[in-house]
Amino acid sequence: MVELGIVDIREIIRLIINHYNFDFSSFSLTSFKYRLEHVIAKNNLNSAESLFRKLTDEPDFFDVFLHQLCVPSSEMFRDPSVWRWLRESYFPSLEEKHLMNFKIWLPYCVSGGELYSLAILLKEIDLLNTVKIFATSFSNNSIEDIKSGVYPFKKNEVSIENYKRFQGDSDLSNYFKREKYNVVRDTSLIKNVEFIKDDINFNNAPKNIKLILMRNVVIYFNPSHQEKVLKTMHESLSAYGTLIIGLKEQIKPNTNAQGLFEAVELNESVYKRKVV
Amino acid sequence: MNYKAVIIGGSAGSFQIVTRILNSLNPSFPLPVLLCLHRLKHVRSGFVEALSLKSNIPIYEPSDKDQLKSGCAYLAPANYHMFIELANRISLSADEPVNHSRPSIDLSFITAANAYREKLIGIILSGANRDGALGLKKVGDNGGVTIVQDPLESEVKTMPESALQHTKVDYVYSSDQIIKFLLKL
Repeated sequence: MVELGIVDIREIIRLIINHYNFDFSSFSLTSFKYRLEHVIAKNNLNSAESLFRKLTDEPDFFDVFLHQLCVPSSEMFRDPSVWRWLRESYFPSLEEKHLMNFKIWLPYCVSGGELYSLAILLKEIDLLNTVKIFATSFSNNSIEDIKSGVYPFKKNEVSIENYKRFQGDSDLSNYFKREKYNVVRDTSLIKNVEFIKDDINFNNAPKNIKLILMRNVVIYFNPSHQEKVLKTMHESLSAYGTLIIGLKEQIKPNTNAQGLFEAVELNESVYKRKVV
Repeated sequence: MNYKAVIIGGSAGSFQIVTRILNSLNPSFPLPVLLCLHRLKHVRSGFVEALSLKSNIPIYEPSDKDQLKSGCAYLAPANYHMFIELANRISLSADEPVNHSRPSIDLSFITAANAYREKLIGIILSGANRDGALGLKKVGDNGGVTIVQDPLESEVKTMPESALQHTKVDYVYSSDQIIKFLLKL
Protein backbone atom coordinates (compact mmCIF):
# COMPACT_ATOMS: atom_id res chain seq x y z
CA MET A 1 0.00 0.00 0.00
CA VAL A 2 1.45 3.35 -1.05
CA GLU A 3 1.48 5.90 1.73
CA LEU A 4 1.44 9.52 0.67
CA GLY A 5 3.38 12.25 2.44
CA ILE A 6 2.08 15.74 2.99
CA VAL A 7 4.28 17.03 0.15
CA ASP A 8 2.73 14.52 -2.29
CA ILE A 9 -0.75 15.58 -1.23
CA ARG A 10 -0.01 19.28 -1.71
CA GLU A 11 1.44 18.48 -5.13
CA ILE A 12 -1.69 16.56 -6.16
CA ILE A 13 -3.93 19.39 -4.97
CA ARG A 14 -1.87 21.92 -6.97
CA LEU A 15 -1.85 19.74 -10.08
CA ILE A 16 -5.62 19.27 -9.99
CA ILE A 17 -6.31 22.97 -9.51
CA ASN A 18 -4.04 23.79 -12.47
CA HIS A 19 -5.36 21.12 -14.81
CA TYR A 20 -8.97 20.79 -13.82
CA ASN A 21 -9.82 23.84 -11.72
CA PHE A 22 -11.14 21.67 -8.88
CA ASP A 23 -9.94 22.72 -5.44
CA PHE A 24 -9.28 19.84 -3.08
CA SER A 25 -7.64 22.07 -0.50
CA SER A 26 -11.17 22.38 0.90
CA PHE A 27 -11.12 18.71 1.82
CA SER A 28 -10.33 17.40 5.24
CA LEU A 29 -6.70 16.29 5.02
CA THR A 30 -6.89 12.86 6.69
CA SER A 31 -9.89 11.69 4.66
CA PHE A 32 -8.43 13.09 1.44
CA LYS A 33 -5.14 11.26 2.05
CA TYR A 34 -6.97 8.02 2.82
CA ARG A 35 -9.08 8.28 -0.32
CA LEU A 36 -6.09 9.17 -2.52
CA GLU A 37 -4.35 6.04 -1.27
CA HIS A 38 -7.52 4.11 -2.09
CA VAL A 39 -7.54 5.50 -5.66
CA ILE A 40 -3.86 4.63 -6.10
CA ALA A 41 -4.51 1.05 -4.96
CA LYS A 42 -7.66 0.69 -7.05
CA ASN A 43 -5.82 1.67 -10.23
CA ASN A 44 -2.84 -0.56 -9.46
CA LEU A 45 -0.52 2.42 -9.35
CA ASN A 46 2.64 2.10 -7.34
CA SER A 47 3.58 5.63 -6.37
CA ALA A 48 2.41 9.21 -6.04
CA GLU A 49 4.34 9.97 -9.25
CA SER A 50 2.31 7.46 -11.23
CA LEU A 51 -0.88 9.17 -10.06
CA PHE A 52 0.56 12.59 -11.05
CA ARG A 53 1.34 11.20 -14.50
CA LYS A 54 -2.07 9.63 -14.97
CA LEU A 55 -3.80 12.84 -13.94
CA THR A 56 -1.59 14.88 -16.27
CA ASP A 57 -1.59 12.58 -19.30
CA GLU A 58 -5.12 11.21 -19.28
CA PRO A 59 -7.71 13.99 -19.08
CA ASP A 60 -10.53 11.43 -19.25
CA PHE A 61 -9.25 9.83 -16.07
CA PHE A 62 -10.16 12.84 -13.95
CA ASP A 63 -13.88 12.07 -13.95
CA VAL A 64 -13.13 8.49 -12.89
CA PHE A 65 -10.76 9.85 -10.26
CA LEU A 66 -13.54 12.03 -8.82
CA HIS A 67 -15.90 9.07 -8.70
CA GLN A 68 -13.33 6.90 -6.93
CA LEU A 69 -12.19 9.64 -4.60
CA CYS A 70 -15.58 10.62 -3.19
CA VAL A 71 -16.73 8.42 -0.34
CA PRO A 72 -19.81 6.45 -1.36
CA SER A 73 -22.59 5.70 1.08
CA SER A 74 -21.75 2.21 2.27
CA GLU A 75 -25.32 1.22 3.08
CA MET A 76 -28.93 2.09 2.31
CA PHE A 77 -31.22 3.38 5.07
CA ARG A 78 -28.21 4.25 7.24
CA ASP A 79 -29.56 5.32 10.66
CA PRO A 80 -33.04 3.85 10.18
CA SER A 81 -34.53 6.18 12.80
CA VAL A 82 -33.84 9.18 10.57
CA TRP A 83 -35.83 7.55 7.79
CA ARG A 84 -38.60 6.65 10.23
CA TRP A 85 -38.67 10.28 11.35
CA LEU A 86 -39.12 11.39 7.74
CA ARG A 87 -41.94 8.91 7.21
CA GLU A 88 -43.72 9.33 10.52
CA SER A 89 -43.14 12.94 11.53
CA TYR A 90 -41.92 15.01 8.65
CA PHE A 91 -44.05 14.07 5.65
CA PRO A 92 -47.32 13.69 7.62
CA SER A 93 -46.82 17.22 8.97
CA LEU A 94 -46.95 18.71 5.49
CA GLU A 95 -50.22 20.06 4.20
CA GLU A 96 -51.48 19.48 0.69
CA LYS A 97 -50.49 22.97 -0.41
CA HIS A 98 -46.89 22.44 0.82
CA LEU A 99 -46.61 19.45 -1.46
CA MET A 100 -47.19 21.54 -4.57
CA ASN A 101 -43.89 22.11 -6.29
CA PHE A 102 -42.10 20.18 -3.56
CA LYS A 103 -38.38 19.89 -4.26
CA ILE A 104 -35.86 17.67 -2.50
CA TRP A 105 -32.12 17.93 -3.08
CA LEU A 106 -29.30 15.49 -2.41
CA PRO A 107 -26.16 17.60 -2.93
CA TYR A 108 -23.60 14.78 -2.96
CA CYS A 109 -24.35 11.45 -4.58
CA VAL A 110 -21.64 8.89 -5.28
CA SER A 111 -23.22 5.44 -5.17
CA GLY A 112 -26.89 6.29 -4.83
CA GLY A 113 -27.47 4.70 -1.42
CA GLU A 114 -29.25 7.75 -0.03
CA LEU A 115 -31.04 8.47 -3.29
CA TYR A 116 -32.54 4.99 -3.67
CA SER A 117 -33.45 4.92 0.04
CA LEU A 118 -35.30 8.20 -0.35
CA ALA A 119 -37.07 7.02 -3.49
CA ILE A 120 -38.23 3.83 -1.75
CA LEU A 121 -39.50 5.79 1.24
CA LEU A 122 -41.41 8.16 -1.07
CA LYS A 123 -42.84 5.31 -3.09
CA GLU A 124 -44.11 3.63 0.06
CA ILE A 125 -45.91 6.77 1.21
CA ASP A 126 -47.16 7.40 -2.30
CA LEU A 127 -45.29 10.64 -2.88
CA LEU A 128 -42.68 9.52 -5.41
CA ASN A 129 -44.60 10.97 -8.34
CA THR A 130 -45.55 14.13 -6.46
CA VAL A 131 -42.15 15.47 -5.47
CA LYS A 132 -39.21 16.55 -7.59
CA ILE A 133 -35.78 15.17 -6.63
CA PHE A 134 -32.47 16.75 -7.61
CA ALA A 135 -29.27 14.76 -7.18
CA THR A 136 -25.85 16.36 -7.50
CA SER A 137 -22.62 14.48 -8.25
CA PHE A 138 -19.10 15.71 -8.86
CA SER A 139 -18.56 13.08 -11.52
CA ASN A 140 -20.39 11.78 -14.59
CA ASN A 141 -19.14 8.33 -13.68
CA SER A 142 -21.02 8.58 -10.39
CA ILE A 143 -24.19 9.60 -12.21
CA GLU A 144 -23.90 6.71 -14.68
CA ASP A 145 -23.20 4.32 -11.84
CA ILE A 146 -26.29 5.43 -9.94
CA LYS A 147 -28.47 5.27 -13.07
CA SER A 148 -27.30 1.73 -13.79
CA GLY A 149 -28.53 0.61 -10.37
CA VAL A 150 -25.70 -1.94 -10.12
CA TYR A 151 -24.38 -2.45 -6.62
CA PRO A 152 -22.07 -5.09 -5.08
CA PHE A 153 -24.11 -7.85 -3.52
CA LYS A 154 -21.91 -8.21 -0.46
CA LYS A 155 -22.67 -4.66 0.64
CA ASN A 156 -26.37 -5.34 0.48
CA GLU A 157 -26.72 -7.26 3.74
CA VAL A 158 -26.39 -4.19 5.94
CA SER A 159 -28.98 -2.40 3.82
CA ILE A 160 -31.42 -5.26 4.26
CA GLU A 161 -30.93 -5.12 8.04
CA ASN A 162 -31.38 -1.35 8.03
CA TYR A 163 -34.57 -1.62 6.00
CA LYS A 164 -35.97 -4.05 8.57
CA ARG A 165 -35.23 -1.56 11.32
CA PHE A 166 -36.83 1.13 9.21
CA GLN A 167 -39.90 -1.12 9.14
CA GLY A 168 -40.67 -0.51 5.51
CA ASP A 169 -43.77 -1.77 3.75
CA SER A 170 -42.25 -4.81 2.16
CA ASP A 171 -38.86 -6.41 1.83
CA LEU A 172 -35.87 -4.57 0.42
CA SER A 173 -35.34 -7.42 -2.04
CA ASN A 174 -38.49 -6.29 -3.83
CA TYR A 175 -36.51 -3.28 -5.00
CA PHE A 176 -33.61 -5.12 -6.64
CA LYS A 177 -32.72 -8.16 -8.72
CA ARG A 178 -29.79 -10.43 -7.94
CA GLU A 179 -27.22 -10.83 -10.73
CA LYS A 180 -24.16 -12.90 -9.81
CA TYR A 181 -22.01 -10.73 -7.54
CA ASN A 182 -24.20 -7.68 -7.89
CA VAL A 183 -27.67 -6.54 -7.28
CA VAL A 184 -29.44 -4.36 -9.80
CA ARG A 185 -31.73 -1.87 -8.20
CA ASP A 186 -35.13 -1.02 -9.58
CA THR A 187 -34.08 1.99 -11.66
CA SER A 188 -37.68 3.02 -12.27
CA LEU A 189 -37.47 4.45 -8.73
CA ILE A 190 -35.22 7.24 -9.97
CA LYS A 191 -36.65 7.81 -13.45
CA ASN A 192 -37.81 11.33 -12.58
CA VAL A 193 -34.67 12.36 -10.72
CA GLU A 194 -32.83 15.31 -12.20
CA PHE A 195 -29.06 14.81 -12.01
CA ILE A 196 -26.78 17.82 -11.72
CA LYS A 197 -23.05 17.76 -12.30
CA ASP A 198 -21.30 20.22 -10.04
CA ASP A 199 -18.10 20.79 -8.13
CA ILE A 200 -17.15 21.34 -4.55
CA ASN A 201 -18.48 24.91 -4.55
CA PHE A 202 -22.02 23.89 -5.56
CA ASN A 203 -22.41 26.74 -8.03
CA ASN A 204 -25.20 24.80 -9.78
CA ALA A 205 -27.26 24.46 -6.61
CA PRO A 206 -31.00 24.31 -7.33
CA LYS A 207 -33.25 26.87 -5.64
CA ASN A 208 -36.48 26.81 -3.61
CA ILE A 209 -35.72 23.45 -2.09
CA LYS A 210 -37.96 22.22 0.74
CA LEU A 211 -35.76 19.38 1.97
CA ILE A 212 -32.03 18.84 1.68
CA LEU A 213 -30.55 15.47 2.56
CA MET A 214 -26.82 15.99 3.06
CA ARG A 215 -25.82 13.35 5.57
CA ASN A 216 -22.14 12.63 6.15
CA VAL A 217 -20.97 14.92 3.41
CA VAL A 218 -19.39 17.93 5.14
CA ILE A 219 -17.30 15.59 7.33
CA TYR A 220 -15.03 15.31 4.28
CA PHE A 221 -14.49 19.07 4.14
CA ASN A 222 -12.33 21.34 6.29
CA PRO A 223 -14.05 23.70 8.76
CA SER A 224 -14.02 26.80 6.56
CA HIS A 225 -15.44 24.92 3.58
CA GLN A 226 -18.07 23.36 5.84
CA GLU A 227 -19.26 26.85 6.68
CA LYS A 228 -19.32 27.84 3.05
CA VAL A 229 -21.32 24.78 2.05
CA LEU A 230 -23.83 25.30 4.86
CA LYS A 231 -24.31 28.86 3.63
CA THR A 232 -24.97 27.52 0.12
CA MET A 233 -27.54 25.10 1.55
CA HIS A 234 -29.21 27.97 3.36
CA GLU A 235 -29.49 29.91 0.10
CA SER A 236 -30.86 26.90 -1.70
CA LEU A 237 -33.64 26.22 0.81
CA SER A 238 -36.99 27.93 0.65
CA ALA A 239 -38.23 29.71 3.78
CA TYR A 240 -38.36 27.24 6.69
CA GLY A 241 -36.90 24.52 4.48
CA THR A 242 -35.38 21.50 6.22
CA LEU A 243 -31.75 20.37 6.24
CA ILE A 244 -30.72 16.93 7.46
CA ILE A 245 -27.03 16.32 8.11
CA GLY A 246 -25.19 13.31 9.54
CA LEU A 247 -25.74 12.23 13.13
CA LYS A 248 -22.24 13.25 14.12
CA GLU A 249 -22.14 16.38 12.04
CA GLN A 250 -23.06 19.45 13.91
CA ILE A 251 -23.86 23.06 13.27
CA LYS A 252 -21.27 24.30 15.69
CA PRO A 253 -21.90 27.07 18.18
CA ASN A 254 -20.11 30.35 17.49
CA THR A 255 -19.93 29.79 13.75
CA ASN A 256 -21.68 31.77 11.03
CA ALA A 257 -23.67 28.69 10.15
CA GLN A 258 -25.25 28.70 13.58
CA GLY A 259 -27.09 31.87 12.66
CA LEU A 260 -28.53 30.25 9.54
CA PHE A 261 -30.21 27.16 10.98
CA GLU A 262 -32.12 26.13 14.05
CA ALA A 263 -32.45 22.61 15.36
CA VAL A 264 -35.77 20.84 14.78
CA GLU A 265 -34.91 17.32 15.91
CA LEU A 266 -31.40 17.22 17.31
CA ASN A 267 -31.38 13.45 17.85
CA GLU A 268 -31.64 12.97 14.11
CA SER A 269 -29.60 16.05 13.11
CA VAL A 270 -32.56 17.80 11.53
CA TYR A 271 -32.39 21.59 11.12
CA LYS A 272 -34.66 24.23 9.76
CA ARG A 273 -33.62 27.23 7.71
CA LYS A 274 -33.75 30.41 9.73
CA VAL A 275 -35.06 33.43 7.90
CA VAL A 276 -32.30 36.01 8.23
CA MET B 1 9.04 13.51 27.03
CA ASN B 2 6.33 15.86 25.99
CA TYR B 3 3.50 13.61 24.83
CA LYS B 4 0.44 14.92 22.97
CA ALA B 5 -2.11 12.10 23.26
CA VAL B 6 -2.88 8.57 24.39
CA ILE B 7 -4.81 6.30 22.06
CA ILE B 8 -6.40 3.07 23.24
CA GLY B 9 -7.88 0.31 21.07
CA GLY B 10 -9.83 -2.72 22.16
CA SER B 11 -12.89 -4.84 21.54
CA ALA B 12 -14.28 -7.91 23.28
CA GLY B 13 -13.10 -8.14 26.87
CA SER B 14 -11.73 -4.60 27.04
CA PHE B 15 -14.66 -2.87 28.72
CA GLN B 16 -13.51 -3.58 32.25
CA ILE B 17 -9.95 -2.44 31.84
CA VAL B 18 -11.03 0.69 29.97
CA THR B 19 -13.36 1.42 32.88
CA ARG B 20 -10.49 0.96 35.33
CA ILE B 21 -8.20 3.24 33.35
CA LEU B 22 -10.84 5.97 33.16
CA ASN B 23 -11.53 5.56 36.86
CA SER B 24 -7.89 6.03 37.79
CA LEU B 25 -7.25 9.17 35.70
CA ASN B 26 -8.25 12.54 36.99
CA PRO B 27 -9.17 15.73 35.12
CA SER B 28 -5.66 17.11 35.48
CA PHE B 29 -4.37 14.26 33.29
CA PRO B 30 -2.12 16.14 30.85
CA LEU B 31 -3.27 14.50 27.60
CA PRO B 32 -6.41 13.76 25.63
CA VAL B 33 -7.37 10.08 25.71
CA LEU B 34 -8.65 8.66 22.41
CA LEU B 35 -10.73 5.51 22.67
CA CYS B 36 -11.41 3.37 19.66
CA LEU B 37 -13.47 0.39 20.81
CA HIS B 38 -15.51 -1.94 18.64
CA ARG B 39 -19.20 -1.50 19.27
CA LEU B 40 -22.60 -2.31 17.81
CA LYS B 41 -23.29 -0.02 14.90
CA HIS B 42 -26.99 0.45 15.42
CA VAL B 43 -26.80 1.13 19.15
CA ARG B 44 -26.18 4.82 19.29
CA SER B 45 -26.43 5.61 22.95
CA GLY B 46 -25.60 3.90 26.21
CA PHE B 47 -21.91 3.20 25.68
CA VAL B 48 -20.59 6.60 26.77
CA GLU B 49 -23.04 6.55 29.66
CA ALA B 50 -21.83 3.10 30.76
CA LEU B 51 -18.18 4.16 30.55
CA SER B 52 -18.92 7.43 32.33
CA LEU B 53 -20.41 5.77 35.40
CA LYS B 54 -17.04 5.16 36.99
CA SER B 55 -14.88 7.57 35.00
CA ASN B 56 -13.18 10.47 36.70
CA ILE B 57 -12.65 12.35 33.45
CA PRO B 58 -15.36 13.51 31.05
CA ILE B 59 -15.99 11.23 28.07
CA TYR B 60 -17.27 12.62 24.80
CA GLU B 61 -18.50 10.97 21.67
CA PRO B 62 -17.13 13.65 19.40
CA SER B 63 -18.83 15.31 16.49
CA ASP B 64 -16.84 15.92 13.34
CA LYS B 65 -14.03 18.53 13.68
CA ASP B 66 -14.28 18.71 17.47
CA GLN B 67 -11.11 19.97 19.13
CA LEU B 68 -9.28 17.65 21.54
CA LYS B 69 -8.60 18.79 25.09
CA SER B 70 -6.34 17.25 27.69
CA GLY B 71 -7.98 15.54 30.63
CA CYS B 72 -10.88 14.40 28.43
CA ALA B 73 -11.61 11.09 26.74
CA TYR B 74 -13.03 10.79 23.22
CA LEU B 75 -14.88 7.64 22.24
CA ALA B 76 -15.13 6.86 18.52
CA PRO B 77 -18.86 7.11 17.69
CA ALA B 78 -20.84 4.14 16.36
CA ASN B 79 -20.66 3.53 12.62
CA TYR B 80 -17.99 6.16 11.92
CA HIS B 81 -14.24 6.00 11.57
CA MET B 82 -12.48 8.45 13.86
CA PHE B 83 -9.47 10.14 12.22
CA ILE B 84 -7.09 12.48 14.02
CA GLU B 85 -6.19 15.62 12.06
CA LEU B 86 -2.95 17.57 12.34
CA ALA B 87 -4.65 20.48 14.08
CA ASN B 88 -5.56 18.41 17.16
CA ARG B 89 -9.03 17.86 15.77
CA ILE B 90 -11.22 14.88 15.09
CA SER B 91 -12.37 14.14 11.56
CA LEU B 92 -15.06 11.54 11.20
CA SER B 93 -15.55 9.40 8.13
CA ALA B 94 -18.36 7.17 6.93
CA ASP B 95 -15.98 5.30 4.62
CA GLU B 96 -16.28 1.54 4.18
CA PRO B 97 -15.65 -0.62 7.25
CA VAL B 98 -12.07 -1.96 7.41
CA ASN B 99 -11.78 -5.63 8.42
CA HIS B 100 -15.50 -5.49 9.15
CA SER B 101 -14.92 -2.71 11.68
CA ARG B 102 -16.21 0.82 11.75
CA PRO B 103 -14.76 2.43 13.81
CA SER B 104 -11.51 0.85 12.68
CA ILE B 105 -8.79 0.83 15.33
CA ASP B 106 -6.13 0.70 12.61
CA LEU B 107 -7.39 3.89 10.99
CA SER B 108 -7.60 5.81 14.27
CA PHE B 109 -4.11 4.69 15.27
CA ILE B 110 -2.56 5.40 11.85
CA THR B 111 -4.00 8.91 11.62
CA ALA B 112 -3.02 9.65 15.24
CA ALA B 113 0.50 8.34 14.56
CA ASN B 114 0.77 10.68 11.58
CA ALA B 115 -0.54 13.63 13.57
CA TYR B 116 1.55 13.19 16.74
CA ARG B 117 4.57 11.13 15.54
CA GLU B 118 6.82 10.32 18.54
CA LYS B 119 4.52 12.19 20.91
CA LEU B 120 1.87 9.50 20.91
CA ILE B 121 1.27 6.58 23.27
CA GLY B 122 -0.63 3.68 21.68
CA ILE B 123 -2.21 0.92 23.77
CA ILE B 124 -3.88 -2.24 22.45
CA LEU B 125 -6.13 -4.14 24.84
CA SER B 126 -8.11 -7.36 24.84
CA GLY B 127 -10.07 -8.04 21.67
CA ALA B 128 -11.41 -10.68 19.33
CA ASN B 129 -9.92 -9.74 15.97
CA ARG B 130 -6.73 -8.44 14.40
CA ASP B 131 -7.77 -4.81 14.08
CA GLY B 132 -5.21 -2.50 15.70
CA ALA B 133 -2.10 -4.49 14.80
CA LEU B 134 -1.23 -2.36 11.75
CA GLY B 135 -2.15 0.79 13.63
CA LEU B 136 0.12 0.04 16.56
CA LYS B 137 2.94 -0.78 14.14
CA LYS B 138 2.51 2.69 12.62
CA VAL B 139 2.70 4.26 16.09
CA GLY B 140 5.99 2.43 16.67
CA ASP B 141 7.36 3.23 13.20
CA ASN B 142 6.70 6.91 13.81
CA GLY B 143 8.61 6.82 17.11
CA GLY B 144 5.66 6.68 19.50
CA VAL B 145 5.39 4.48 22.57
CA THR B 146 3.70 1.10 22.02
CA ILE B 147 2.01 -0.86 24.79
CA VAL B 148 0.06 -4.11 24.59
CA GLN B 149 -2.02 -5.63 27.35
CA ASP B 150 -0.44 -8.89 28.45
CA PRO B 151 -2.27 -11.62 26.50
CA LEU B 152 -2.08 -13.84 29.60
CA GLU B 153 -4.26 -11.32 31.37
CA SER B 154 -6.48 -10.41 28.41
CA GLU B 155 -9.96 -11.88 28.36
CA VAL B 156 -9.71 -12.36 24.60
CA LYS B 157 -6.16 -12.74 23.30
CA THR B 158 -6.47 -12.34 19.52
CA MET B 159 -6.04 -8.59 19.39
CA PRO B 160 -3.04 -8.24 21.74
CA GLU B 161 -1.35 -11.31 20.26
CA SER B 162 -1.83 -10.08 16.74
CA ALA B 163 -0.37 -6.68 17.73
CA LEU B 164 2.64 -8.44 19.25
CA GLN B 165 3.17 -10.43 16.04
CA HIS B 166 3.26 -7.28 13.92
CA THR B 167 5.42 -5.03 16.09
CA LYS B 168 8.29 -5.19 18.48
CA VAL B 169 6.43 -3.26 21.15
CA ASP B 170 7.93 -1.21 23.97
CA TYR B 171 5.94 -2.76 26.79
CA VAL B 172 3.74 -5.77 27.46
CA TYR B 173 1.86 -4.69 30.55
CA SER B 174 -0.80 -5.96 32.90
CA SER B 175 -3.74 -3.62 33.46
CA ASP B 176 -2.17 -2.47 36.76
CA GLN B 177 1.06 -1.62 34.98
CA ILE B 178 -0.77 0.26 32.21
CA ILE B 179 -2.52 2.39 34.82
CA LYS B 180 0.72 2.98 36.70
CA PHE B 181 2.41 4.05 33.48
CA LEU B 182 -0.36 6.52 32.65
CA LEU B 183 -0.39 8.00 36.14
CA LYS B 184 3.29 8.86 35.87
CA LEU B 185 2.73 11.03 32.79
